[in-house]
Order: sequence, then C-alpha cells, then structure tokens
Amino acid sequence: MFLKFSLRSVFYGAGGGNDIQWCFSQVKGAVDDDVAEGAVLSGKLPEILLVSVPPSLPPPFLPLWVLIQMKIHKRISALRKMKCFPCQFSNTIKSAQLNTSALMSVSFFDQADIISTVEFNHSGELLATGDKGGRVVIFQQEQENKTQSHSRGEYNVYSTFQSHEPEFDYLKSLEIEEKINKIRWLPQKNAAQFLLSTNDKTIKLWKISERDKRPEGYNLKEEDGRYRDPTTVTTLRVPVFRPMDLMVEASPRRIFANAHTYHINSISINSDYETYLSADDLRINLWHLEITDRSFNIVDIKPANMEELTEVITAAEFHPNSCNTFVYSSSKGTIRLCDMRASALCDRHSKLFEEPEDPSNRSFFSEIISSISDVKFSHSGRYMMTRDYLSVKIWDLNMENRPVETYQVHEYLRSKLCSLYENDCIFDKFECCWNGSDSIVMTGSYNNFFRMFDRNTKRDITLEASRENNKPRTVLKPRKVCASGKRKKDEISVDSLDFNKKILHTAWHPKENIIAVATTNNLYIFQDKMN
Amino acid sequence: MLAKGVKRKHGEMEDGQLAAPAAAPAPAAPSDSLFNISVLKLHQSLRHVEPNLRYLVLVANTLRRLQDHAPAETQGPVPPGRPPAGPEPPAGPGAASPDRRDARCPAPEDELLLSGWDASLCASLSGGLEGAETPGGTPGPPAPPQDDAPPDVPRPPHPFFAPLELLGSTGSLLEDSLEGIFEDIDTSMYDCDVWSPASLAGFKAFSGADEEGQDGGRLDMDDLDYLMDVLVGTHAL
Repeated sequence: MFLKFSLRSVFYGAGGGNDIQWCFSQVKGAVDDDVAEGAVLSGKLPEILLVSVPPSLPPPFLPLWVLIQMKIHKRISALRKMKCFPCQFSNTIKSAQLNTSALMSVSFFDQADIISTVEFNHSGELLATGDKGGRVVIFQQEQENKTQSHSRGEYNVYSTFQSHEPEFDYLKSLEIEEKINKIRWLPQKNAAQFLLSTNDKTIKLWKISERDKRPEGYNLKEEDGRYRDPTTVTTLRVPVFRPMDLMVEASPRRIFANAHTYHINSISINSDYETYLSADDLRINLWHLEITDRSFNIVDIKPANMEELTEVITAAEFHPNSCNTFVYSSSKGTIRLCDMRASALCDRHSKLFEEPEDPSNRSFFSEIISSISDVKFSHSGRYMMTRDYLSVKIWDLNMENRPVETYQVHEYLRSKLCSLYENDCIFDKFECCWNGSDSIVMTGSYNNFFRMFDRNTKRDITLEASRENNKPRTVLKPRKVCASGKRKKDEISVDSLDFNKKILHTAWHPKENIIAVATTNNLYIFQDKMN
Repeated sequence: MLAKGVKRKHGEMEDGQLAAPAAAPAPAAPSDSLFNISVLKLHQSLRHVEPNLRYLVLVANTLRRLQDHAPAETQGPVPPGRPPAGPEPPAGPGAASPDRRDARCPAPEDELLLSGWDASLCASLSGGLEGAETPGGTPGPPAPPQDDAPPDVPRPPHPFFAPLELLGSTGSLLEDSLEGIFEDIDTSMYDCDVWSPASLAGFKAFSGADEEGQDGGRLDMDDLDYLMDVLVGTHAL
C-alpha cells in the first residue's frame, strides 16, 4: 500500500523563522501526485439501500429484509475492497458546479487510503498511522547508521494489519465505519509493543510482537507441518530454535465494545498504565485494560431531552502525571478539568477553562470557530494546548479565565467564514502537538501547509508538505499567505489556497526533531538539519 | 461602521475583499441565504441514521442564532389592529417592554452580527420602538404573519433533535417525529414542500433522488442498479 522514498543526507539551505531548519526526509503514499479528496464521492454505504426498520424483531430467526441487507452489505464491502474507483486514474478536476470552485479541487482516488491518525510511540522508534479503511501501518526507525552519522535512521514499514472491519448494525440499519479515529501507544513493558486503536464504536488492544526464531526438528511433525506416522520414528531428537526472517505479528488481545452509543472521538491512556478513557460526543467511559465487559461512565452530558442538546464533547485526555485528572473539551469552546477523586460521576468540573468572546469578532459563526477540535497536555503537565478553527491556545492549568498564549494559525480565513461554512470546511477538526521539550507547538492548515510556533522566541513558520517543492535533501522553504493587497513574489494569495488539501494530523517525535505530517493520503516525515 | 443601505450580494463574498470596513468580520451573505443553507445542512445531517452529532449541534446552534435575529429585523412592533398570533401578548402601551425591545432590536454589539443587513433599517426600528410606546408608529416594513412565538417569550426547546431521542433505542427516523423538526421554523418564506412530513414518509427510499445535480446522487443510483442486478442474477431469494 505504501511506497517509500529513500532519502539520506541533507544540505544547508535557507532557514525559516525558527532556529530549526526543517528538511524533507521521506514521503509515504501513492506515487501519483498528492490527490485531493473527491467531494462528489462518498465511501459510505448509500443509505437509500437501507430499509426502514420496524422496532421489534422476533428473536430466533432473521426476517427477509435483514437477509437482503446482509447481502447488499457484503456485496458493497467486496466492491469497495476491489477499489472500484481507480486510484491510478488521478485526475484533478475543477468543479464548475460548486460555488467555491476556486477553493477546492476534485479528483478520484481510493478513499480507504485517507490517513485518519498519526502517532509516535513513547520512544519514537515506531510511528503508527491509521486510515479510513480500518488499517494500521506501523513504521520503524532504522538503527542509526554509523557510516552516515549526519542523518537519522529512516522509517520503514514494520507491520500492517487490518484493525477494524466495517460492521453493520442490522437493527439500526446503519454501517459502522471502520475508519481509525485514534491510535494510542502503551509504554513498552516487555519485548512486545501494545497499542489501542479505535473506530466510532469499538476500541481494540493490539499486541505487536516479533518472531525471528522458529522451532525445528519435531519428532512427530515434518517441517511442512504434516504429521509423521509414529511407527516411522526410529530416533528421538530435541527440537531447537533456528533463526528465521523477522516476522512481525499483530494480534488483537482485547476488544472493548458496546460501550458507546455515540461516535468515539478520543482515547487516552492513564499515567497508571492500567486504565484508559474513551470519549464519545456525550459520554466518557473509564476502562481497565484487562477488563472488556465493563466500563465506568465518568462523564455524561446527555440532556434528558435530546431536543435540548446544544453542546457535545470534542476531545478528552488524561493528565500525563496525575492519574486522577483528565480534561475534556466541548463544541462551545470550553475545557473542563475533572478530578476522579471528587465523585464517581465527574459531571461537575473542578476547573472550567473558557476565554470570553471578543466582541469585535462576533459573528454567526463564532460558536463554530470556537469549537475545540483537539486538546493536548504538555509533557510537563503544567500546560495544555487547545486547537479551535483559527487558533492554537496554551492554557496554564492554574489559570482558568484565559489562555496564557494564543497563536493565530490562519487568521486570513476569518473573512472567508461564510464560504467555509457553505463547503463545510469550517467543521474540519485540526489536531495539534507539542515537541518533546514543550517549547514548540505544531498544527496543520489548508493547502497542505502546517504551522509551528516557538513559544520562547515567539517566532512562527509556515511550511508545506508537497512532493513538488521538495526534492530529496531539501531544506523546506517557509511559505507565506498573502491575505489581501499586493502579493509579493513567492507568496500565495488566500484565493488560491486549496481547501481540499488539509493537514489535520501531525505528530512530533517525543525526543528528537522529527515530525510526521499527514496530508490526505500521504505521510511526510521531516527532520531538522543535522550538521 | 457598516455599509449603509447596501445589501451585499452572496456572490461578492467570493472576492475575499471586505466591502465594509474591517469592523464587520463576517462577510455578509444575506441572512436568509445563510438560513437556507443551514436548514439544508440540518436536514441532510438528520437524514443519516446516526448523524454526526457535533456537526448537527453546531449547525442547529447557528440556525438558532440566525432565527433569533431574523424576526428582530423583519418584523417591527405589532400594529394595534392585528390580532396577536399565538401566545403573543396583545400589543399595547405596555407591550414595548424592555425585553421585547431588546429582542426586537438588537443591542449595539449585535449590529455586527447583522453585517449584511441594512443598518439604517435597524436604526429606524429602534427609533420606532423608542418613540412609540404606542405601537402606531411602525417605521419598518409590514410584519409578515408571525406564526412562531416572539423572541422574548421563552422558546420551547427546539425540536431539531426530536429524532435523536430515538437513537438510543431503535435509532431509526420514525415518520411521526419528523414533524417536530418543522414546528419552530417559519416556512412561509420558503418553498419547503419537499420537506413536508407527508412527502418525507417515502423519504428513505427516495432520498437519492432529492439531490439535484450532485454526482453523489447519480452514483448511488448506479450502485443500486448494479447491486440489484447482481442480487437478482446470482441469488434467488
């Protein structure tokens, strides 16, 4: 599925506003030009096929309408796996029908390859990606090459497995999407690696283990596995382990299902390494990693009357050090910090973080752009970062009434909110991440741009993830968007931005200056220039 | 502050230039166009058996905001001769309560929300309210028949999400709950026949046909034809 480019050394080039000079390292994904998501194509089961469901079913047998749905579903799954939309046919079509034709490009490609999550493990040696097709691909960093000490090891495919399959809820006549929403690594305790991956409804604990030896010399079995006739055995021998080609196996160890009515948006592993939380739109559940048939509900914001629903949970995370503390963010731009020691049901927050609205910026879209799409604690645990549509905010956990730092990601979009509302881009959920020392934060934007903000120097930089501009070993050139007026050379005007090319998922190596940036269906790895 | 007397057209937004000075941050589409778009989005979202709740909530809240401001602009104080509609208290000298005035004419900070609207109209509305404890002085345009409760009466919880109540149990969009969606929306301005509950009864089977000019709709129908051929051809049920 992924092809890799092999890139080695880097050379000096023009730097950006930061002290770090970022260099192109690798890109993984389709060989074709980075294609944008087809606005007209949907990977979802067409719902006109779903027959309306009577609420009561006689238990023992399946009625005809269920059988029909099962057949349709199986056939559609098979079709989709056949990739009926040819991905080698990468055509970029400017859609004339769309009002926002200047803003978006349309093309055909395999939707299953859309990357939906990116996460380094705790050592940074492994990098996991999840995609819309329910697959997880893990890359492993090569051991540092002594002869080429000026570059770090590159990331190669280590393991690929199908984490989640599309499921069909026959009772509700709906398909449960297999898209991986989040991956979280467990800290390594033994030779094997463990990660949690989740789709909309089910969380799975995967064990990834290596096998590089196999037993040979059985008495009762041939080497190919056939059983020998015991009467032909004349001598006995002790089977021994012999080396074999490295095989990486992934096996599901736990499946945590049936605990979420709504769509899971976050999972977070507690610092006790025994429990974790999963959050959907209205509830947060606490699990024990060993126990799959029970979970505790710790937050429930579902109103008694769903007609009164005005707010949903958008993200949740455990504090990195305090095992009793977690936060969750909402669609109204608030963050609540809860202490599990206070009560079993943490509906009442211990702290409420909210910045008052700037009256000069009020509009019909104020609430939508204040909706928080991601929340991340700093490694130190002293700060947390939130991402809303236009900005990144750093909060001190000791101060609730306003953030200590605010960084504008793409303020030039403020005048475009109406168009972005029409084409639904205003609902995009961007993630954000910290570097290992909590001095720099990074987040994505449109046109395959991503932004970094240095908290100490207060400088920021915009870079682009693109194959065109990046020859191997190139230092990335800073980009600039021109909001209005005269466009300088090398600047890009707001109207030329491609809103189909969005970087929603980014990850930063926990120890080094290596970043992974996911465009729609490509994964870019950049690292700093090493002398 | 706002472009007086100039209603910006929807198409002008695409330029990315602000016709009004920088104080109006949201480029002005006329609010009824935004309203239309929001209603469409809401309905499209509700068509899914399990809608994206965050999307739904944000669109619904935006719709509420639009609705809250729409009556304030298009309807002046109720003239005395008109019988009050619904639970609205009769117009009279005491009717222009501060609450009503605030609801009818947006406070100064709300004027920014109405960036697409005629500021002079707004001003005249507020002037009319000020000067007329007697409702006779109606400066604004004649108020269209108001079917909904006026903004200052506490609105019942909006029935946008009536279908969602069923998500936890059967999860299906039963026909009788669809009517709840439309109670609060004043549909007199729009031709919403396609959304009426009666036509929505057959909704699930024909939802693909509702999408005009969208390739997504055509592809779905092609998928369906192909699939039914396959089913009929390969397996007798």
